[in-house]
Amino acid sequence: MERFTDGNEGSEPRIIRMKRGILGFERLTQFVFQPQEETAPFRQMRAIEDGTTFVVIDPFIVKPDYQPVIPDKDVRLLEIEDASDVIVMNIVTIHRIPLGATINLRAPLIVNTKSGLAVQVVLEDDTYPLRFPLGKKNQTTIEP
Amino acid sequence: MLVLTRKGGEAIRIGDSIKILMLDVRGTQVKIGIEAPEDVAVYREELFSVVEAENASAASSGSDSNANLSALWDVLHKEEEM
Repeated sequence: MERFTDGNEGSEPRIIRMKRGILGFERLTQFVFQPQEETAPFRQMRAIEDGTTFVVIDPFIVKPDYQPVIPDKDVRLLEIEDASDVIVMNIVTIHRIPLGATINLRAPLIVNTKSGLAVQVVLEDDTYPLRFPLGKKNQTTIEP
Repeated sequence: MLVLTRKGGEAIRIGDSIKILMLDVRGTQVKIGIEAPEDVAVYREELFSVVEAENASAASSGSDSNANLSALWDVLHKEEEM
């Protein structure tokens, strides 16, 4: 098992099972991670059901001070026993014109690496935007 | 759509595990209490719909090649150095 990064504790599983679906994609319950070698630091997760693919990234690469609060009920839902088993991943939106990418900091994926269970958490407070630009040059938020 | 009229203090049950209470009604605002199992997520509609839309924008059929992704990272970081 490989480590994700130093900012993210725990090793990631190859398959995750959504304990509660990605919003709008509730029908997709299991995702397989594609090998990261060629896409690092991005990683692709592909739904077993229909091949729908999301690009994800370790948010701490982009925003080292990122501190999403995981609701207690989701800690229980994911059967989290040890904080070091948890990794956070955020979905990347790729924009074609102009070419760029944003990371969704408002709704992180929380994964229990021990159980392979995951949820998308929608953060209650609005500290973190839905579209945080990747690449430090432009730190203004792109409105969806 | 099912439409029900309720007064403050009254409630609605959805199935046997979800209860929605009308806590208070004042002018144009309704204060609602929701009791639901932990695996049922409850969101404000505005927030749900923007996250849902962003997820839809991010989803692909898996046709993006790996090469495109690493190239994208390079592009983003070249811009940064300029």
